[in-house]
Amino acid sequence: MPKYLFLQRSLPRKPQQPSPAQMQEMYAVFNAWKEKFKDNILDLGGPLKPGGKVVTTSGATDGPFVEAKEIVGGYMLVSAESFDRALEVARECPGVIMPGSSVEIREIQEVSGS
Amino acid sequence: LTGGPEPGDRPGVAAAPGLVEHFFRHEYGRLVALLTRKAGVHHIDRVEDAVQAALLAALTAWTAQGRPDDPGAWLYRVAHNNLIGELRQTAGRLLILERAVDAEAERTDSPATAHFAGEVADDMLRMLFICCDDAIPRESQLVFALKTLCGFSTAEIALRLFTSEANVYKRLARARDRLRDSSPDIQTPPLDSLKSRLPNVHAILYLLFNEGYLAAHAEHAIRRELCDEAVRLATLLAEHSVGAVPETFALLAVMHLHAARLGARCDGMGGLLLLEEQDRSLWDREQMRLGAEWLSRSACGELFTRYHAEAGIAAEHCFAPSFEQTRWREICDLYAMLERIDSSPLHTMNRAVALAEWQGPDAGLALLQAVAPPAWLVNSYLWDAVLGDLHRRAGNLEIAGRHRERALTSAPTAALRELLTRRLTTAA
Repeated sequence: MPKYLFLQRSLPRKPQQPSPAQMQEMYAVFNAWKEKFKDNILDLGGPLKPGGKVVTTSGATDGPFVEAKEIVGGYMLVSAESFDRALEVARECPGVIMPGSSVEIREIQEVSGS
Repeated sequence: LTGGPEPGDRPGVAAAPGLVEHFFRHEYGRLVALLTRKAGVHHIDRVEDAVQAALLAALTAWTAQGRPDDPGAWLYRVAHNNLIGELRQTAGRLLILERAVDAEAERTDSPATAHFAGEVADDMLRMLFICCDDAIPRESQLVFALKTLCGFSTAEIALRLFTSEANVYKRLARARDRLRDSSPDIQTPPLDSLKSRLPNVHAILYLLFNEGYLAAHAEHAIRRELCDEAVRLATLLAEHSVGAVPETFALLAVMHLHAARLGARCDGMGGLLLLEEQDRSLWDREQMRLGAEWLSRSACGELFTRYHAEAGIAAEHCFAPSFEQTRWREICDLYAMLERIDSSPLHTMNRAVALAEWQGPDAGLALLQAVAPPAWLVNSYLWDAVLGDLHRRAGNLEIAGRHRERALTSAPTAALRELLTRRLTTAA
């Protein structure tokens, strides 16, 4: 079955911290979503820490993160029989509904011979 | 209070698997209280950040790996490590912190030791007493308790107190400034030394309850949470040696007896109902039972406090078989006692209302004529509503009409205007 990489992007500004009550709701919503698509989610991935380096032949630099309009905030691995199904998984992902955030879906190219 | 959120309260939200309602919010309060004792009040900001970060970490980790067997212990461990890391990094090597760290190292192996109910109650109550420091303005005490002990965010507090987020923020900052300046030796005071603050603690819990109870507001469910929190903290206080005094019991009786009638005050469409319109069969029997129980426990000792008087009045209403059969004479006596303890024209006005039921509207009006009401009372809809009602029933229709107009103009909500219109236009 094809695999997809989900890249969650969001605006670089610090989002407002959710309250404990909101976190409990988010936990409930995430669990419901995870349960619904449990056959599709290969690796729930996780949030990425801010900062980082970009390595090239000329050395390592701080990433282009400062200037970027959006930054990659997290990733996930999903398997789905079709792109449409992967789209469905992403569309219902609670992470998408936060203002200013989006999910980029990329099908992972199968390496021939595998 | 036993009532959970009402159906339709938060539509479409699944229950958090394996977690009781308000788990995150109450864990926030518990952990802030616990870690504040360890690190000292002047580190309250860092403590709150550490707890907030632990809850956020739980959100990610529990979603990915499933909920741990003991979520409370998990949160404690993570929040504690966050705090130690933060203190090491930013606060240098202060002796008091080193001690906190050392003491902690011994117990990290068995974090469950931090979960003895008695210790949690100790920490929560200490935090509550700290909130009630005389140097903190009362308005700040209230929001600070809502933030640290009840786990509400600034936005959630603003919504519940009908004020702006900026205002809540300002009040919180005032409380924090005061605590940050506190001298190190009172940073983690033993609970017994705080006993003298008990009247302040009662006042704050009473205020918290009333914020939820008195609101004539359509968003009933979220205001009800304030009543629930007040009862939760007051119960904690009553069951602890530091607060197990008749005054606390009387306060709890007031809360339960009012809460018993809370659900019946609304007509199901957001409108408010007059006492005589309420369906008494809808009053919550369990709340009435609890109220009666605390009331009887409060009937000991030397002091008859304002909470005793108010509990007595609430009990008269609660246990009257009907509006007509209410013992107005007893209610008048109790209001008179309340006035002697805590002189306020508001209490006199309430006594006039009861007196009017007992001896007729002219008796009520005669009592009110002796009152020189302060501006805040004259400008509130209550004063005009009462005068309008009594004059109407006494047949002074012209005066009644004037008060009616004024009451309707100053009534703060549509639900109240609706109720007043009904009350003040019924034929005499």
